[in-house]
Formats: sequence, C-alpha cells, structure tokens
Amino acid sequence: MSSASTVRLVMLREVRQRLHSLGFFIFTGLLCFGIITIGIVKRTLGEDGPARHHMAVIGAAPAGFADAVREVAQSLGIEIRVDSVGSRSAAEQQLRSGELDIVIDPTAGQLISRSKPPDQLAASANTAWRLSKATAAARSAALDDQQISSILSPAPLVPDFLQPDRNSTGNVATIVGTAAAAMLFVAISAFGGMVLTGVVEEKSTGVVEVLLSHVRAHQLLAGKVFGIGAVAMTQFGAALLSGLIALRISGITVPGAVWIGLPTTILWFIVGFVLYSTLFALAGSFVSRQEDAQGAAAPISMVFTAAYLTVFALGNSPYATTTRIVSMLPPFAPLLMPLRIATGAASVFEIGLSAVLLLAATYAMLRLAGAVYGRTLLHRGARLSWREALRMTSS
Amino acid sequence: MLEVFDIRKRFGEVAALNGVSLRVGRGELVGFLGPNGAGKSTTMRAIMGLIAIDSGSITWDRAPITARVRREFGYMPAERGMYPKMTVRDQLVYFARLAGLSPSAAKKAAESWMERVDVHHRADDEVQALSSGNQQRVQLAIALVHEPALLILDEPFSGLDPVAVENMKSILLGQVERGTSVLFSSHQLDLVSDITRNVVIVDGGHVVLEGDVREIRERAAFRYASIGFAEDCRWVPEMLDVELIDRSPRALRLRVPAATEPAAVLADATRAGRVVEFSFAPPDLSEVFLASVGRDASNESEEVRA
Repeated sequence: MSSASTVRLVMLREVRQRLHSLGFFIFTGLLCFGIITIGIVKRTLGEDGPARHHMAVIGAAPAGFADAVREVAQSLGIEIRVDSVGSRSAAEQQLRSGELDIVIDPTAGQLISRSKPPDQLAASANTAWRLSKATAAARSAALDDQQISSILSPAPLVPDFLQPDRNSTGNVATIVGTAAAAMLFVAISAFGGMVLTGVVEEKSTGVVEVLLSHVRAHQLLAGKVFGIGAVAMTQFGAALLSGLIALRISGITVPGAVWIGLPTTILWFIVGFVLYSTLFALAGSFVSRQEDAQGAAAPISMVFTAAYLTVFALGNSPYATTTRIVSMLPPFAPLLMPLRIATGAASVFEIGLSAVLLLAATYAMLRLAGAVYGRTLLHRGARLSWREALRMTSS
Repeated sequence: MLEVFDIRKRFGEVAALNGVSLRVGRGELVGFLGPNGAGKSTTMRAIMGLIAIDSGSITWDRAPITARVRREFGYMPAERGMYPKMTVRDQLVYFARLAGLSPSAAKKAAESWMERVDVHHRADDEVQALSSGNQQRVQLAIALVHEPALLILDEPFSGLDPVAVENMKSILLGQVERGTSVLFSSHQLDLVSDITRNVVIVDGGHVVLEGDVREIRERAAFRYASIGFAEDCRWVPEMLDVELIDRSPRALRLRVPAATEPAAVLADATRAGRVVEFSFAPPDLSEVFLASVGRDASNESEEVRA
C-alpha cells in the first residue's frame, strides 16, 4: 500500500470520528445561524442602512419641493418620505403621536417638529426649500430649464485625493478581515485542540503502539492534521458562506478587495491551520495523559493568541511599518495578512513574500515534526519539554 | 523465522536489555517468560520497531525488518490499544485496511474474526462499552485480522476467564497450524507449558533458560518424590541430600538430587511401611522458572536473590 493511501485511510478515520459527533453539527449549525442572524438584525435595525424620516407639507407643496427633499436627503445619506397634511392642527397632532418627524408650513415659512430635528433632516428640508424657492424665482424671471439647472445645479466638484482615503475604504474591509481572523482563531483553537487531544488519546489508550506497527509516524501525523483540517475547512466554509449571506442580507456593500482577498484568505487559513495543528500534534506527543495536554500546548496557544491580538492592535493601521513587518512573520501571517489583503493595504510583493515565508516555515515544521514525532509518540511517563524532545531526536 | 540476536537497550542508567537472543521458527509457538521488569515487553517492543535498540540485531527470514515487512506482523501490546469510541467492527476494518487489505477483504476478515473470538454480537458497540475480557478478544482480533506471518502477543492471557483462555489457546494453536510464528509472554506458567514446549525465560535483561519445557524440567538439579503409606508411618529417609518438604501422618514429599535412583527411594520407603502411592518427577515449570530467576519456589514472597 502506498504512503498516500495510508495517509488517506488515517484521514478518513479522523473525518469519520469528528462527523460521528453530534456536537460538531450542532456547533456548526449554531455558528452559521448566529452569523446569518447578525445580517438580519443589521437589516431590520437599519443600523448601517440609511435613516428614515417622515415629512409632511401643510397644504400644497411648492413645485419641485418634494423631489428636491428626496434628492438632498439621498446625498446626505438619509431617506425622507414626503406627504401632505390638511391643516396645522392635524400636522401638530401627528407630530405629537410620532407619525411625522417634521412638518413644513409653506405659508408661514416654518419648519415644525416636536424638538430639535436631526441636522441632516433639517438641512435637507432647508436646502430643498431654498432650491424650490430659487427655482420658482428663476422661472418667474423667464429662464429656461437648462439655464435654471446650470445656475442652481452646477456640476459638483470632482474629488482628487493626494493619498487614497484609507479609512473609509477599509471600514467594511476591516470588519470582514477581522471577522475572518476571528473565524480562523476559533477554527484553529477548536480544531487544533482536536488534533492535540486526538494525539494524546492515541497515546493514553496505547493504540499508537498498534498503529505504528502498520503506519509510519509521519503518515499518522499527516493523516490526523489533514483529516481534522478537512473537517475544519468544511466548518470554516459554512461559516464563510453564512458570512457572505449575512452581508448580502444586511445590504452592506462589500469593497472589491474583499472579494479578491477571499481565495487568499482560504489559502492562508489552510497553511495556517497546518502550521499550528502540526505544532499542537507535536505538543500532544510529549505527554501521556490528557491532563498534561494543555500544559504542553501552552507555548503554542500563547503565540497563537498573541497573533490573534495583533489583529486588533494593528488591524486599524494596515499600512504602518510595524503591521507590514508583523504580517510577514509566519506565526502572525495567517491572521493578519488576510485582513491587510482585504483592505487593499498589502502590495503584491508583500503578499508573495509572506506566502513564501509561511509556506517555508510550514514545510520546515512538517519535516521537523516528522523526525520528532516518531520518537516522542512512544515516550511514556512525564511530559517532555521541547528541548528534551529535540535532544531525543538528535541522539 | 524471527531471530533476535544479542540485543541491548539502556534507558538512562537502567540496562533494560542485556543481550537477549531468541528464535521463533515458522509455525512455532514460543512462550516468553520472566518476572516483571525482566525485559519481555521491551524485547517485544523492539521487535515491533517501537523502540530503537542500542546494539544487536533483529531479523525476519534473515533480513532486517523494514516497515513493509512489519505490516505482516500482528501485535498485541500489554497495555491494550484501541480507539475507545470506535465500534468493534470499524476498529477491525480500520486495522485490516492499514495492514493493506482491500475494503472488501477487510470487511470479510473483520466479520470472520468477530465470529472467531466471539464478539460478533457486540459488533456495533463502542469498544469502551465492552467488558475487559471482551476488549481483549477484540485486541487479539486486531492482531490477527490481516493473517500475520508473525504474532507478537504481550500477556494475551492476562485477565481472561477460563472459557476465554480456552478460546485464546485454540486460536493460537490454529494459527500455529497454518504456519504462523507466535511469540507470547505470560505469567501463567502452567498454561504456557500446557500449550507449548518452547520457552524462553528472561531475567534482568538477559535469557536465563531456554528450550523445550520437558528438557528444561529434566535439566533441573532436583526431583520431587511423593510417597503415600497405607498406615501412619514415621519413616525418615536416611539418604544423603534428602530434604523433607511436606509431611502428614500417611504421606510425605521429598526433594532429592536429580541423580537419585527412584527405585532406591522406593525401596527405602517400602522397608518402613506398605507404600500405596509413589511418584518421582522433575519440578514443574513454575518451580524451574522461580529457581532460574533466583527466587526460591517455596519461599517466593521473600524474593531472595541467589
């Protein structure tokens, strides 16, 4: 039997064992449900959608007023519905009941509301009022529509940024990148933990001795990491899909860089997972009892958590030199680089270098693990330190 | 043929193996005996490639044992090794597949072995739900599921009830009949001499006795003579080097040098009274074992080293 088919057998057993547990499906279901719910909540609360207001005009509105209100409101990022109301008293009653947010009395030239209206609402009303008044005045001065339009609605200023606006484009991208890092963190914590306990289980039950009479240590390691990795990818994929559905539902527009960044995020996820779970497997091979597992994995968990925290510490300044450097370092890259790519802050060179470094580190780790694992896996008794493990291999 | 030649292994300051050599031919069943810590499990783990030896050699059919060759071995460790949450059937199929069987052959072998070790009624139960005796049957089936050429069984009989012991015995003998080489360790010495004539006894990391059980017993320096009289008798043997082991009013048990003539003992006894029962035999394996590992058979608890 070839080495690849041995690894595949080990992999399939891992996948079956994970899919055998109901907990996996419940957790994945809840995760996706939770993510989609956020999208629905965002939409119904309209938190990021335009604010909506209801305006009424007493009697007949000046010509073009309603259109002007809607136009100005849109440019200010709000929505205003314009109706008419029969009398001042009816208007006041509806204001008090909250049916209306604001009322315009054209004859008195008044803007009526219960209390001081939101600035954008008042600004929309005032600008539209001035526009409609000016248009009426221009009409009475016998100007034609084209002249009126060129006087009252000149072409707007064309923006020309000396530096691209990093904050506003990054806003959604940062959220997406941070969310991706969070998902990666959860996935590697959960599934890296599974690799750890899986290895310790094989040691503590003694099954590893029987396994190693048929399988080489590195095949066992690869099968475990890839098998659990495949399950993790499935869950990550489901979460990602839910995230996309949630974004769609919420109506938030997603910058193009995020879409371009998606495949790289998945690549970084896979390589990052392999790197960290190989380390977790190694840590697992140093102990013989489940109680010692967390202790052995503590150094890895610390580095990993630190890498995750850099996403919050550095994520808001994706162009800073510190961020650039840290995002290249293999232990940090899987969490930080996808965010920088999503915000469009990473250059092609940086992406390439980071990928090369990460792949090289992961390859080196796999080679090292292959050499160490066979020895440490059969070690019984007290926990080995990393130094002892390396010494065992070199001797 | 398995050949272990002069293997040595140190764990830090402790010399676990101090030059162990043994052979197991095709279709041969060899019992591997020795007190705790004698090096039995270490030798077996070395054969399975689970520890690296410091010196010496281990060969199968005169060639070094590679990973590919080891696939043809079946191994049952002393500490049982199975996935607790996997069903009996899945476990057997998995190990059969790892040993290189095709999916359909693995399924067939699993069914057949569940039947043979009598756990087929628990096929879909998780291993952790089984009694320790049943777990042991599954463990044996795992070692056998790929019809290995060499079986290494570390304490296969420990913790088995008499019915399971009989079952295990007949399975091992069946394997030997089809040409499998078997090396098994045990503490149950009478059981060992019951199923095999070939034993290797180790102590302190080296072989202290080996060969045919009958010859080993014959080689012992003493014999036991048991005499039963028709009436109460106060006879005391006058021969030299005779040791009185046990006596009751009408019977006594003696330890005499191996060279002693049974007829002389009987003649002596007949002079003292009417003899109705007489036996003269070499010590049984457990006594030879205890004597060879430096513990006195009649004084085992003191563990005095010779």
